[in-house]
Amino acid sequence: MSALGGPKQTGGIQPPTAMGLVIGIVLIVAALALAYLLVQMAGLIALVGIIIGGVLIAFGVHFVPVGGAPAAMGQAPGIATGVAMLAAGAGLAGLFGGAWAAPLGFGVALAGGAIGGGLLMAITCTMVNVIYVFGMGIPAASGKVDKDPITGDTFPEFKSQGTEGHGLPFISWVGGVIGGALGGLGGTLIYLQLLDVYQAQLPVILNATVEQIAPVAVSLAGIFAVGMFLVNAVLAAYNITGTIEGPHDPKFKRFPRAIIAAAVASAVTGIFAIGLLQLVGVF
Amino acid sequence: MSVKVEVGAGGIPHNQILIYGLVGSLVLIYLTYLNTITGTEYFSFFGGLAAVVALLWGTDTIKHLCSYGLGTGVPSAGMIALGSGVVAALFGATTGPFAPIVTIIIAAIIGAVAGLMANAVVRMDIPVMVVSLIELAIVGAMTILGLSAMACGTFEFLGMITGEIAILGFIVQSYEFSLIGGSIIAVIFMLGAIAIQHSFNACLGPGEQQDRTLMLAAECGFLSMIPIAIISFAFIGMYAALISLVVSIVGWLYTYKKYIELSQRDAYAWLDAQPILEPKGGA
Repeated sequence: MSALGGPKQTGGIQPPTAMGLVIGIVLIVAALALAYLLVQMAGLIALVGIIIGGVLIAFGVHFVPVGGAPAAMGQAPGIATGVAMLAAGAGLAGLFGGAWAAPLGFGVALAGGAIGGGLLMAITCTMVNVIYVFGMGIPAASGKVDKDPITGDTFPEFKSQGTEGHGLPFISWVGGVIGGALGGLGGTLIYLQLLDVYQAQLPVILNATVEQIAPVAVSLAGIFAVGMFLVNAVLAAYNITGTIEGPHDPKFKRFPRAIIAAAVASAVTGIFAIGLLQLVGVF
Repeated sequence: MSVKVEVGAGGIPHNQILIYGLVGSLVLIYLTYLNTITGTEYFSFFGGLAAVVALLWGTDTIKHLCSYGLGTGVPSAGMIALGSGVVAALFGATTGPFAPIVTIIIAAIIGAVAGLMANAVVRMDIPVMVVSLIELAIVGAMTILGLSAMACGTFEFLGMITGEIAILGFIVQSYEFSLIGGSIIAVIFMLGAIAIQHSFNACLGPGEQQDRTLMLAAECGFLSMIPIAIISFAFIGMYAALISLVVSIVGWLYTYKKYIELSQRDAYAWLDAQPILEPKGGA
């Protein structure tokens, strides 16, 4: 239980309700059908890309070691801030990397996004540990497992009494980098899909060249990617309810719920983003 | 299953604030339409005032939602609000004169889906979750639409993507020198997000008073208006932008002064080291 409060931590994982699942499937199918009706095959592919991007973001958030307020006091492992902030930082860094690399091709852009997000998390995790070890004088010790699954370091003898662990163990560092890379990848995928849609539609609607509308298309795709990124990251954060140490944390097993939620939320926000230009000039 | 944490009892009931916020922001945003009717740009500042009213309402909503202990910190609620709001606001903007109404409807749909996913799939099981996320999405959308209208004088999509620039004395139409083409929308996004998440995050805890929190929300709103007013010099006439700037600065000075007064009042009330007030039956 974190100092931030939060719903009661039950032992098992509550499965999604049947109603939630049915509504979710109906919404995804409806959104896909609508995308096909509005922009034909290109819209369908774009929406599938957006849904995959959203799922990658939600999955990636679960890897990121989030400590929240207790971590700031050295009473819990992880980076001392909330899920939404960390995910936004990693995802946006990835998005900038990917958007910069967009003219170099689809694969390069995706790789750029993943590396951007992963790099930001790598730097953050390293500097967090520098501050923990040399600034606060605390060793890295996980509270959830006795042994680091990668290095084999043991934790119990370093863990202070009355804390849930502290610092940032290596497994959490690795988790952070994976999470950042997945988030950056997802954000960039959403951006690229929307950019394709707008670059195809805007010149026709505005009767302009692709170069002329490029700033508008880039800006629209970028801001929508940011918006969808935050929606998915916050839904994943709600799934984690507060703090998580990384892929070795028992809370990590909750990720299927966030994936369903993110897929549905991405489909619904994505269909509005894809259909954005359909009503221009109608009224 | 959720635990409610302390929230100052008393004050204006939430439903009343909801109605004032919804109607107030809608009316104020429509007042910027006077620009189109009269052919001037002097009414742009009403967009900023609409954002302030929406932020007041949003802060009270966040207070209700976060009293259930999300476990993710208060800023996440602001992030999901603006994330879903930006999609709704830009989609709504494409419908011309109906923009504010369409924006509210779209935001409600996106908010409802996000809330349903959070409750039924992620299993937050918070009673006010769906309603709160609907409200927050509308607040986020109205904030973005309001500040956009303030910056470029119109809430219509074509006005947001086209700008004029003087090159060697000739007025040239350009998509690059516009609200969306210049990515000013990203600045608006962040200014809105910071304004909505800060107030309750700063004021929460024992002794939280509704009037103080809401005054801080208004202060944050006016503070966000100041940069937008400065940005608006690039898009609307000199005198119109000057009016916006004066309105923002006067509003900010007034609310800041009032907020300091209220803070001093509440600080004084704690001088006798009273025991922490238990909420009676919850807020």
